[in-house]
Amino acid sequence: MAFLLRNISLSAEGREIVRTSRVRDDLIKVGRDPGNDIVLNDLAVALHHATLEQISATQIGVSAEAGLTVEIDGVTTQGGQINSLSGGTIKVGPFLLRILGAEMGSEDVAIDVARADTDADEEKFDTRRFALATTLPGKRTLAWSLAVLVFGVFLAWPIYSYWSQRTGNPEQVAAGYHADQLWSSGPLSRGHASLENNCTACHARPFESVRDTSCASCHTQVHDHADLNRMQQAGPQLGAWARFQRAAANVFGQTPGRCVDCHTEHEGAQQMLPTAQQFCSDCHTDLNGRLPDTRLGDASNFETQHPQFQPSVLVRWDGDTPVTQRASLDRNPREMSNLRFPHALHMNATGGVAQMGRRLSAQYGFGQQLECRDCHTPTPDGTRFQPVDMEADCGMCHSLAFETIGGVVRTLRHGEPRQVVADILSFARGNRVPADLGGGPRSRPGDVNQIRAAIQFAQARSAASPRAMSAVRQAFTPDGACGECHQVQMPASGFDYQIRPVAFPVRYMLHGWFDHRPHQNAQRPGRAMITGSQACLSCHTANASNDATDLMIPNVASCRDCHGGETTRLPVPSSCAMCHDYHMDEGVPSQLLRQQVRGRRWTTTVVRAQPQQPPGRGAAPGTR
Amino acid sequence: MATRGIDRGVLSDAAAHESFLRYQRFRWFKIAGVVSLVCLLIYLLVDVQPRHNGGSWLGYALGTIGAGLIVWLALLGIRKRAMTRGRWSLKGWTSAHVYLGLALIVIGTLHTGFQLGWNVHTLAWVLMMLVIISGIYGISVYAILPQGLSDSRSEMTGPQMINAVSQLDKQLQHAAQPLSDSDSAVVVGSLGQDPFGGSAWRRLTGNYPNDPNRAALAYMRDRLEEVPVKQQPAVEQVVELLEKKAAALSRLRGYIQRRGLLEVWLFVHVPLTFVLIAALFAHIISVFFYW
Repeated sequence: MAFLLRNISLSAEGREIVRTSRVRDDLIKVGRDPGNDIVLNDLAVALHHATLEQISATQIGVSAEAGLTVEIDGVTTQGGQINSLSGGTIKVGPFLLRILGAEMGSEDVAIDVARADTDADEEKFDTRRFALATTLPGKRTLAWSLAVLVFGVFLAWPIYSYWSQRTGNPEQVAAGYHADQLWSSGPLSRGHASLENNCTACHARPFESVRDTSCASCHTQVHDHADLNRMQQAGPQLGAWARFQRAAANVFGQTPGRCVDCHTEHEGAQQMLPTAQQFCSDCHTDLNGRLPDTRLGDASNFETQHPQFQPSVLVRWDGDTPVTQRASLDRNPREMSNLRFPHALHMNATGGVAQMGRRLSAQYGFGQQLECRDCHTPTPDGTRFQPVDMEADCGMCHSLAFETIGGVVRTLRHGEPRQVVADILSFARGNRVPADLGGGPRSRPGDVNQIRAAIQFAQARSAASPRAMSAVRQAFTPDGACGECHQVQMPASGFDYQIRPVAFPVRYMLHGWFDHRPHQNAQRPGRAMITGSQACLSCHTANASNDATDLMIPNVASCRDCHGGETTRLPVPSSCAMCHDYHMDEGVPSQLLRQQVRGRRWTTTVVRAQPQQPPGRGAAPGTR
Repeated sequence: MATRGIDRGVLSDAAAHESFLRYQRFRWFKIAGVVSLVCLLIYLLVDVQPRHNGGSWLGYALGTIGAGLIVWLALLGIRKRAMTRGRWSLKGWTSAHVYLGLALIVIGTLHTGFQLGWNVHTLAWVLMMLVIISGIYGISVYAILPQGLSDSRSEMTGPQMINAVSQLDKQLQHAAQPLSDSDSAVVVGSLGQDPFGGSAWRRLTGNYPNDPNRAALAYMRDRLEEVPVKQQPAVEQVVELLEKKAAALSRLRGYIQRRGLLEVWLFVHVPLTFVLIAALFAHIISVFFYW
């Protein structure tokens, strides 16, 4: 019983060197220690690593020392058996112990001992591994994976989001994150903040620039400033550089005149800036030179160059239809309201009107004299005034009462001249009822009596007594109840009196904005603050007007006492946009609206700060 | 280095090496500078309301130039595979690549109008800047590091450096044979060590915590005073070898670090160029999708 050991090693040239030894024992030790039967010089092998033992004629037991392992036929284990007839391999550290199948008739167990192949070592010392590339994913892998990620997140996802918004249920679509926001180049302006999650509100169709129709779907009340061709004609002469810029913009499809040309978006959560005077004056300073047929006067600065106001004035009547016409205040137009009304008389502090007002003060709250507000009622928004209503605004003094029955005052009907005639005649008749109708003793029978009663009744009914007819005529004379204020069309015969219709323009400046409310308290430079009628009279010279045809609209010069240009020494810097709107004629100019939205309230005119209370008077905060 | 010790002054102008940076007396530097200045001047002269942005005519123009430049710059990856001489030599092309790439900082940034945000447009700009910055880094390290690279190798070639470690491992293997099992296990830790081990980060920082060789060295130094006299010579030899191996590893790692620093920019520059082109494509599509 012996082990035949063949120790195989390689020379420097790769030649095999075999050293053979025979151990006559049925138990051999394997380890690094020189005392072992099989010495394996490698630090991966323990000093005494394993023991091989002949168990039977055909079985060899292999057992590793405590805590160590060997590999038997490729299986890592602590111990096992190998059939000595068929052979097997034991790997100890880097060494391979190959047990060869026993030869016939021999009791020796032959074991080849050799160092296993060291592929790993070769790889470890591969000089290609100096390159950083061996520790990083390949450039191609990086490029493709990241590029696909970018395409997916920043292209495919937003496009999917776009289609889902177009085809999905609007309510479901409204909520939740829309990936097309990844495309938003910046926050929307504050006015459009609610559209932040709704790209398709403006970007209606893919690959089509935002059209004006998208804007107009919400902004229904705006119109173009003027015809586009005329605007281009009216524009200032462009320099070479500006023309180049215009041409360059055209190359990229940025033609002038589109909404987005001025109203750019995605510029951050900002608010619309006040329209600069320059924006208007660029064209309007010398508009007449480039647009000879325009009816607009040149304007560049309210203080220095602005045409006289041209209010829309009721200049004449076409039958019963009032005809208004714009007329420059320089031409001193007259207002044909068909009323007769002397303002001065009513404003007089000492005359009969004032006296009557004082007499009725308890009932109507009049003061020592009539004030403007006693007759003129502002519109609910305070911007302008409601048309004068005879019953409500004049009727306090100009009573149409003609009798009192049981405490009830009977009045003539205003605005219905035929009814007025009938009421007067009826009143005259009522005062002399025929005896037969008065419920007296029964008349004697007979034709004569019947005929007399019929005549008396007819006379009473017709009321056309000379006194009654005189009363009717009196009412329509220029001093009468009607003719006092109205122009009366006299009948050729009979009682068909007609009153000429009356009309008041509610708004004179159709292309400019004027709000009375901020002018209720006014302070012209160098003068004291005035309120009430004094404030009204500082612009409207009603106290000097004796004729209802006087048009008391203040002119440009009057406004210029306070209003200057965009930059001015006057108290109220006024750019064009304070009174004029680029897109609208009626309504509050958008600039003023925006100022209101941002907290400015137009209850008083802007006046210079009043001097503060001298210090020392009153308790200062904190010293109480 | 082949040129070391040679007086460069004796080389004729024709033979002197002209780097791509100095190509034709900085021709492309001048061209790129003029292009950048013209763009900046126009940017300052054009009054875009309310402020500059990529959607103005100037923005579109700069964007078109920038996108064209990016594609052309990326084509260097193809062009470099064909080395040619003459007017459109690869050197000239590379010189133009560097300086026009730098001009792209101006063109691309003016295109943004300095309006940046969390969106695909800024993504493209950021990627562009990363590619350019990595390129600047690449040129800088090529100017600075190679000298250090050869110094760090102590006149050794790469295989020699590895071989040094390998030889020391063999000597250690031999010298550690008499050690006890527990001691030899520590030495095996050093032997089993992959000299190229460590992530890209370790390579670039040169910081290798938990280095088995260092641990083995520290352990064996302590063991010097503990082991029986009989074993002391073996331990002393092992310690000496471990010290030598530490020096060899340090040299090797210094070289690997410098090489890594030289190579790492390409792992940003090249892949991000493709990602940039993808983002640029998404940017352009998105702009016109929601025109």
